This record gives sequence, structure tokens and C-alpha cells, in this order.
Amino acid sequence: MAILRLQDIYKDFSGLKVLFGVSMEVQQGECHAIIGPNGAGKSTLFNIITGLYKPSRGEITFLNQDITRSSIHKIARMGLSRSFQIINIFPKMTVFENIRIAVVSRFNRRFNITSFLSRDRKILEESDKILSLIGMRDARDVPACEMSYGMQRQLELALTLARDPILILLDEPTAGLNAEETRSIVTLIRKVIQGKTLVIVEHDMEVVFNLADRITVLNYGQVLATGTPDEIRGSEEVKKAYLGRI
Amino acid sequence: MNRRRALKIVGGGIASLFLLLLPVLLPEVDVHLATEILIFALFAVSFNLLLGYCGLLPFGHAACFGVGAYATALIFKHITGMPFLITLLISALSGFVGALIIGFFCVRLSGSYFALISLAFQMFLYAVALKWRDVTNGDDGMGVTRPDLYLPGLGTLSLMNIQYLYYVTLVIVALAILACYLFLKTPLGHAAVSMRENVIRASFLGYNVFLTRLAIFSFSGFLAGISGALFVVFEEFVATTVMDVHMSFTVILMATIGGTGHFLGPVLGAVFLMVFQDWISSLTKHWWLFMGIVFVMVVLYAEGGLIGLFKWEKIRALFVSEKES
Repeated sequence: MAILRLQDIYKDFSGLKVLFGVSMEVQQGECHAIIGPNGAGKSTLFNIITGLYKPSRGEITFLNQDITRSSIHKIARMGLSRSFQIINIFPKMTVFENIRIAVVSRFNRRFNITSFLSRDRKILEESDKILSLIGMRDARDVPACEMSYGMQRQLELALTLARDPILILLDEPTAGLNAEETRSIVTLIRKVIQGKTLVIVEHDMEVVFNLADRITVLNYGQVLATGTPDEIRGSEEVKKAYLGRI
Repeated sequence: MNRRRALKIVGGGIASLFLLLLPVLLPEVDVHLATEILIFALFAVSFNLLLGYCGLLPFGHAACFGVGAYATALIFKHITGMPFLITLLISALSGFVGALIIGFFCVRLSGSYFALISLAFQMFLYAVALKWRDVTNGDDGMGVTRPDLYLPGLGTLSLMNIQYLYYVTLVIVALAILACYLFLKTPLGHAAVSMRENVIRASFLGYNVFLTRLAIFSFSGFLAGISGALFVVFEEFVATTVMDVHMSFTVILMATIGGTGHFLGPVLGAVFLMVFQDWISSLTKHWWLFMGIVFVMVVLYAEGGLIGLFKWEKIRALFVSEKES
């Protein structure tokens, strides 16, 4: 069953055309990678799916509901969560506080004024659980801005997961990481996405072919091909446009 | 950590005792000053809820203060025998509703746009107060008679007595500041801080930035409304000065000089500014010049405002030698 469906998406930034009629489907439970050269429109597509930008034309449905014009927070509450290419965390808060603020939202306590957050056991326990899952227990009380880049990437992932989303969108989760850090974050992604649906934008082909069940290749704002990793590897068009002749 | 807590408890205890005994310890003129400081402390705390915790700098926060002030003056003028506490509540709710309306247009913006739109609303209300003479009496203002306060068990207290007014103000301000402190401990209070830190991330986590900020802006208006009402009772007079630019910028100075990064920073700022103003204005009529110098000095040399000078690390360093630590 397709849980996310994009139909004929166009995006035009005051004359700069970025996407031309992108259509794609994401099936429940799959790991779907979006690849393409720089400027292909991958991040724009993510921003359109998650409500940051509105498409110039086209329709997006998530769980059979039209979310084309929905606001960011409404889409997030439906169970669609994303990470960012450039780290996007709460820098002055500790790791635990970062995760807790996401958990508060998940349990719909956003407007609660009748309890103290520091005494809400359900939220504290769940936040600690995520902290353990992501392997950051030792850094619990460290301000996020004082951590290494690799750990901030991990926290970025934790924030994306903390709402217990149905669909996770990861925008270049290994950007700027060295080989060892990349391996550890891929292991982490594998561990935490079990039972969930994942869409990932990634430049590292090893990561893509390691994780993805299906791949969509974008080029100049259009879908060049969609298929299994093997199909994509075998596609002459993709080789020409992106992978180069091997 | 325990020493730090002990220091806080001892410090808080001494401050509370001083506040309770102040009318006995100090002459009446200083009790007047202390009452005014309390009122401005609450106003500054309500302001800092926006600047310090939401990251929103309103240039027109006096709008809510003024709405509360005029509400009180108009109630006392038109409804004879209206109980003081009910008047106070209505004035606070007026501040709340005023902030709700202003906030509806302001909080979707941030940075300089937010600052200037809030100033525009304040100037609009100022113009209404100035021109609608039939109701507000324009810049001639309205006199207000301090009401009596009936308290079960204690009887009727005349607020004309400055000592009673001081204690009533102390209790109300303390409760309002406590409510603000507790509010910041709730999930909604934390949500506001998260938006100050990273508004985009907060919305991607499912937070409705507009509604959250509007809720906090309105609560801040409620607190400013209380302080405005108390100010009118204290002054026995209301005029357009309660919602002019000078009032808005006075509260910005208080919060900034005291320190916006700490809950009690604006309280310290209110104390410092009012005492300093009281002292320097008795020496020279150019006292604003010295206020300006103080502001520049604090911004340049006291990072985090005056409250930053009382950081635990700094206090500790006075008592503990480097070797020991």
C-alpha cells in the first residue's frame, strides 16, 4: 500500500523552475532512496512533502489524505517526520531536553499548563528510552552545541524519531561524516527504522545500496527512473546522468 | 550543588524577610518607592516572558500595561463600590484580551517586524487614549481614588495607607511572579523556549508556533495588565503616559539591564533602575544621560545583565581558592 503519493509536482521559485512533474509513490514499510546530482531538486522535494514549501502544481497525499496545502506542524502530527541536511537541533538545550521537547509533542502535551514537565514520568521515561535507543545516554546532560558533529547528527536522527513517526524522511544523514561515523549512523538507522517507512536522500552510494529497497533517481527536477537497486544499477540512463560509466 | 541550593534558600529567605519588614525598617517615602518597584518588577517579568523566553522583543509592551491601567481607572470612575480584587481581575483580563488581539497580528512575525508592529499597536492605543477625551480625558488624565480592600478575617483595609498598599501589592506581585515562574515549568513554557531556540525545528516536531506564541503573549498581557492596574491604584491617577513609548522602553531597559537570561534578572533591573533613577534625579535634572551611560556600561561590560554578576561560579570563586576547586 502506498502511504505517500506525489502526483505531478511542479515547483517554481519566482521563475527558477526546480521540479517538473515529479510523481512517485512510497510503499508502506519500504526504504526508498532518492538520489540525483546536486541541484536535481531532492531537498526541494523533501521541503514540499513536509510542508515547508508549497508546490506550484500537483498533489501530495499521505495516508490517503491530501496534505498539499497543510502546514508543517499538521503534517508532522500525522506521523511524518524529517531530518535536515544541515543540522537542525536546539543548540542551547541538553541532549535530553532536545529529545524531551519532541516527546512532549508526541504525547500531545504541547499546550499543557497543569503539570510540571520535570515531573511527568511518562515523558521522562520515554525520552530516556529514546536516549538509550540512540546510544546517547552518556551525553544526556551535555548541551547539544558542545557535542561533536557526529553526535549532533545522531541527535538530529533522535529528534526525527522521537515522535514515533510512520514515515521518516532523512535528508543526507551522513553529510560531513567520516567513514567510521557513516558506518555507525547507517547501523543506527537500520536499528531504529524497523517497522517504519523511510525515504532517504543520500549522496553516498554505498549507503544508498546498503539501505534502499527501491530507488528514485531525480535529474534536473524530473524522475529519471524508479526501481530496485539492481534495476537502477543496470539502467543506462542513470549511469549516464549520475553514476558515470563504470 | 547543595551549597548552591543552600545559598539560594538563605538568599531567598533574607530577601523575603526584608520585603516583609520593609515598611517597618524604612521611612514612608521609601515604602512608596518600594511599592512602585514591585509594580515595575512584575511588568518587567511579564516583558521578559516574551524577550527572555520566547525570543520576541516587543517595542510596544506598554500597550497591555496601559489597557490594564485604563480598565482600572474606568471601572473606579464609573462603577462605585466595585471591589478592588474584582477590578484587578477584570483589568488583568483586559490586558489578556488586548494582548490576544495584538498578538493575533504580531506573533506570526519575528525580529524587527514583530518589534515594530507591536509598537504600532501601542501607538494606536496611545492615540485612542489621547484623542478619545470623552472617555479617557486625553492627556489631562483621570484621577482615581484608592479603594478599600475587604479581606475576610482582617476587615477592611484602606489602601490610602501606604503600608497596606505596599503589603497588598507585595502579595499580588509575588503571586503573579510565582505563577509566571511555575508557568515556565509546564510543557507550554518549555515549548516557548524551544521556539526561541529553533522555530523551524519546533514546527517540524508538531508545534503550532503561532498558537503557542499567542498563548504566551496573552499570558504576558495578563501579567502586564495586573501591573498596569496596580500602577493606577498606586499613582491615584492615569494618563496617556501609561502607554507611551517611554513606558515601553523603560521596561526594555529594566529587563536588559537586569538580565534577560535569568528569571529574576528583570526584577533586579527594576530595583536597580528605580533606585538609581530616584537617587540620580535628586542630584541632576539630566538624569537620563546617566541612565544612558549605565545602559551602555551594562551592555558592554556585564554580559547577561546585572544578574550575571551574581553567577554561582563568580560567588564561589570569592570563597573558594583556585587550589581548593
